Amino acid sequence: MEFPSNLHPTLFMAGPLGMTDVPDLSFMCSWKDALTLPGPQNCKDRALPLAKDLLWEPSMPGPLPLLPPGPDPWDPGVTARDLLFRGGYHYRRRPQVVLDVTEQLSRFLWDHGDIAFAPLGKLMLENFKLEGGRNYSKKRTVVRVKRLLQDLGGYQPWGCPWAHVSHRLRRFSILGGPVLSRSVSLLLGKLLHEELALRWEQLLLDEAFTGGALAWLPSRTARTGQLVYPAGGALDRLYFQEVSLTSAGNPRVLKNPGHIQLRGPVRQVVTSTIQEETLLAVRSDYHCAMWKVGKPGEPAPLKVLQVEKGATGINLSPHLPGELAICSRSGAVCLWTPQDGLQLVYKDPETLAFRDPSPWRWADFTAHPRVLTVGDRTGVKMIDTQGPPGCGLLLFRCGAEASCQKGERVLLAQYLGQPDPVFPPTLHLICTQFSLYLVDERLPLVPVLKWDHGLPSAPLLARLLPPAGPSCPQPLLLGGQGGQLQLLHISGGGTSMPRLAGPPQTLPSVTDSLSTFPLLEPKHQQQLEERLQAPTIGLAAAPPWISTPILLLFQLSAAGDIFHQQLRLLPGAPLLDQTPPPSWTPQATAHCSRWLVDLLELPPSPTAWAAPTFSHRRLLGHMDLQKSEGELPQRLRVAMARGQLLRPGDLGTPPTAEPPPAPECAPQDELSERLSEAWEGRGATWWERQQGRASGSQTQAKRPKRRTQLSSTFSSLTSCLDLPDDNSPPPSPDQTSFKARLEPPGIPPSQESTQELWERGVRSERRQTLRDYMAKLPLQKDTPGPAATPPSQPSSNWVTSSQQQTPVPRGSQAPRKRQRMGF
Amino acid sequence: MGLDFSEELRKPVTEDEQMETSMLSAKGMHFPWLQKQLETVVTGGKKKKDFAQTTRTCLSFIQDALLKHQWQQAAEYMHSYLQTLEDWDSYKKQAAPEIIWKLGSEILFYHPKSNMETFNTFADRMKNIGVLNYLKISLQHALYLLHHGMLEEANRTLSQAETWRYGEKSSSQEILINLVQAYKGLLEYYAWSKKKMELSKIDEDDYAFTTKSRNMLSQSWKTSVNFCALIKTPGVWDLFVKSYVEMLEFYGDQDGAREVLTNYAYDEKFPSNPNAHIYLYNFLKREKAPRAKLISVLKILYDIVPSHTLMLEFHMLLRKSEKEEHHKLGLAVLFGVLDFAGCTKNITAWTYLAKYLKQILMVNHLSWVQEEWKSRKNWWPTFHFSHFWAKSDWKEDSDLACEKALVAGLLLGKGYRYFRYISKQDHEILRKKIKRMKKSVKKYSITNPVV
Repeated sequence: MEFPSNLHPTLFMAGPLGMTDVPDLSFMCSWKDALTLPGPQNCKDRALPLAKDLLWEPSMPGPLPLLPPGPDPWDPGVTARDLLFRGGYHYRRRPQVVLDVTEQLSRFLWDHGDIAFAPLGKLMLENFKLEGGRNYSKKRTVVRVKRLLQDLGGYQPWGCPWAHVSHRLRRFSILGGPVLSRSVSLLLGKLLHEELALRWEQLLLDEAFTGGALAWLPSRTARTGQLVYPAGGALDRLYFQEVSLTSAGNPRVLKNPGHIQLRGPVRQVVTSTIQEETLLAVRSDYHCAMWKVGKPGEPAPLKVLQVEKGATGINLSPHLPGELAICSRSGAVCLWTPQDGLQLVYKDPETLAFRDPSPWRWADFTAHPRVLTVGDRTGVKMIDTQGPPGCGLLLFRCGAEASCQKGERVLLAQYLGQPDPVFPPTLHLICTQFSLYLVDERLPLVPVLKWDHGLPSAPLLARLLPPAGPSCPQPLLLGGQGGQLQLLHISGGGTSMPRLAGPPQTLPSVTDSLSTFPLLEPKHQQQLEERLQAPTIGLAAAPPWISTPILLLFQLSAAGDIFHQQLRLLPGAPLLDQTPPPSWTPQATAHCSRWLVDLLELPPSPTAWAAPTFSHRRLLGHMDLQKSEGELPQRLRVAMARGQLLRPGDLGTPPTAEPPPAPECAPQDELSERLSEAWEGRGATWWERQQGRASGSQTQAKRPKRRTQLSSTFSSLTSCLDLPDDNSPPPSPDQTSFKARLEPPGIPPSQESTQELWERGVRSERRQTLRDYMAKLPLQKDTPGPAATPPSQPSSNWVTSSQQQTPVPRGSQAPRKRQRMGF
Repeated sequence: MGLDFSEELRKPVTEDEQMETSMLSAKGMHFPWLQKQLETVVTGGKKKKDFAQTTRTCLSFIQDALLKHQWQQAAEYMHSYLQTLEDWDSYKKQAAPEIIWKLGSEILFYHPKSNMETFNTFADRMKNIGVLNYLKISLQHALYLLHHGMLEEANRTLSQAETWRYGEKSSSQEILINLVQAYKGLLEYYAWSKKKMELSKIDEDDYAFTTKSRNMLSQSWKTSVNFCALIKTPGVWDLFVKSYVEMLEFYGDQDGAREVLTNYAYDEKFPSNPNAHIYLYNFLKREKAPRAKLISVLKILYDIVPSHTLMLEFHMLLRKSEKEEHHKLGLAVLFGVLDFAGCTKNITAWTYLAKYLKQILMVNHLSWVQEEWKSRKNWWPTFHFSHFWAKSDWKEDSDLACEKALVAGLLLGKGYRYFRYISKQDHEILRKKIKRMKKSVKKYSITNPVV
């Protein structure tokens, strides 16, 4: 193989991470990497000129769901809000995290008292007398339970200073106090803290899905393939979905997918096609399995391996059919081959470069079929499986050699060798939470390319795709767990170094698709948002065709949904910002609406626990004795006993029969008037009336005039300005604002005028910029925005609320104060 | 002493930070997305200043626009972002110029309406904001100018940077100055190289020749000073070393050139750079060094990159050597090349191997072959000699298929599928070759029972 004849000048400094005294000469700016040096000698080395306008343009503003949502409900799990202490946080440069153990502990004691106290109860069994009459026990340490419960009954001593304390209770508390107060909280607190810390770490980085659980298996016939992915509530069902691509590059789902039921959740799916034989391997928490995918699509199982300590990564050999590398949390790396079976290649519970207490291990192949890379959080090493155990060469080290930052760790290491190599098959991709490195195994420790990806979540997914054309650079896809996607263009190979062929780009993420869904009531809206925000656990792409450079990407979410998006390589015309952004097609919107209907029909996820029912049942039974009230309280009681939600209709009374207490207000106050109308559900009619009343003729006449003025001054900006009017409006947190939005003219007149006033002093081309900027900012007291909104403008309310939710470039309007709807 | 002192200074900070990071998680890992998570939770307490919030939002807007290739938009946000230079947080204030330079230069590099003048103005301004970035920015600015072919301007920028000093010279500053000097040297090398080309066209007896060559001499002396300092610092300096050696060789300083190359290849503080050994080998070859010397250089390259194209040359050298151990190594080298995924279709390597295997087996060195084959026999058959490869090799390159078939036959016997498939093929031109191949396999295959 050829080796690049001239490497980039690089400083090589051995040492720990975050060494400050070394100038960072790595290629931080993408443009720096694109530079070539002129000169009489190296003319032949001058690779392709820089493609400044290399851009894959998405055909739509966001990815679309490929399949209807699965039948199993999905629960997003814990969030940072559930785990962290919420108050007393002082801003520091380095944020400090405090786990909220006390709150969780008290909740746990309330919700799962049986678990928390039952063992203690058993321990103290001899101190209780559970049944029997009045016969007096001689032991002072025995408490009669019946009387104790009677004393406790009906009281909530928790936080109640007037709770009656009997001598029995006092005795009980003296008896149980030392045991109850200390051992429970100590033991439980410790365990809970451990669990919370684990959950928090998982929330920051869920390494289980490293590598991704979605794969694209190309078929023999062009433009068809199979998506292999797990779905179902527990991700324990492996689906084989056939997909064909239309001539326009859109995916069409063919028939019902076949599936294999597994016993554990699927964490990683890898495939490899060697010598026309396609293999598929799957990693679960404690098992790995391998199939051979035959022609009729019927996968034949080859091998199942059990990993006792838990598997962290697998990879299939790109050179030899059926060879599989497996890593275990114990620090062992094994190679399974059809000839020799399982072979321990490497074992070290310690990490490679420096001590880091992480059990995560990773292994992949290299250009030599018998040399593996073994990686952990601190570095990556090359291990000869046939050589003496334990020795090898460090390929990458988190340290000064690669100008790593403090706290930087390896999150993903991937061999980029491919059957049709454009690059020499010696390149490895290494991703950390800050940067992306390309390392050539012939030049260990010195990255040949470094780029700061700046992703706001862990980059655990990467795919190198074949080039779109003979002289085109190769697209490298990088996916964050939060759904963010980046596309890098890498060229090089032969005698030149791999380098960025143009500036990297971001691709739309699943949350960008929110705008195509119709606006929903808050609860459903939240459900939809949660579903779209589900972590991305798989990434696959149908490779571009030479004839039409179209790239089709698939993303798998933790909720089991697959989203797809199509990218088109723009012809090399100089790109300006004025090119219209892609917009939703009616078909896409309709498709999303259908998907949404299916989603909302799903049963809600079962709650983890139900409110304890012992007390109120007993209370109800007690109250049954006094049968003197009418029908209404009876129904109330029935509903309570069943735990039902009681609506006015259920009581058989018209909703207006008992109006809620309306706020007392002076009739002149417009805001209060509107609020009270809205309270009674007549907000819309009030608005209509108001419009008619407010000297209809004048305002109506002024509005079109102002419109034209605006559009003429902001000629280039209008398309963005009208956004909330003609597109689907941004989500709003409450229904009243939703109703208000449905009113025909979206903008109350005075708002336009204030906008106009405010923007007069700003250069027209910067206005849109400023507006976007302002929209993104959180509302604060002294925003340099418009002058104070007149108090008689109640409609500004909904603008505010929508601003908080989405950065729609609408409101340069910021109120002086956070206003509340009052209910 | 100075180093120790700086370590002392650093210590308390790291300890403090370790304590804090241990709060983040059990590991010492940093999460760039931690702040965002925290912000969703925290309600009370002192929050970030508005100023910090606006600047941060603006920064994320610029980054977003850059990644969407919206250069115009990014430029507009950049206007507002400049406020970060007035941050009263001294840490941020210090970091600001570097961020602005990175983002700004990127915008100006790609912006369709940007030109060289704008870039130069921006670079000149940025150099003087925050003294610590002067050298870095100058260097990148010079590279930008070089990229656009403005050699003179680049030289001027580098000369200015070279003489720049600020405070006590830190090691980081020194490295940067060395780099600046080296790039200056490179520019001088370009000029020298151009003159050399012109010179080669002039008659040697000419008066112009002597003056010109005298000029060149003085220039070379200057250049050597420029390169010297940098190439002693551990790193990858291919371009500089190559240029320097070329100049030294031109002036007949063979010893100097050899020393530079030897140092570049063998200094342990340097990364193991294959090019260092390749340069040294090429130099020694030009120098007509003895074969043993060449072999010793290539032996090291063989240890680092056994897949390199030079390995075939190495094999030939070893074959020509008198030592038996070299002959044995020659076989290992060929096997080594063919182990790699990128070399499986290298017909030269296969031809060499087929020929050499036959030759070795003829002189009864069966044990050599067996030694090499031992570690490969359980994977070479699938890797090289599968039925799939037999078919596809024959279709794509029948010459390659014949060479491979001979090797397969010698190593795996005549009954093996690859050999059988090829030997059954009927080909007009290759018929004779296949016949010869069959004969060799019958006679020398290592699977034959030992007589």
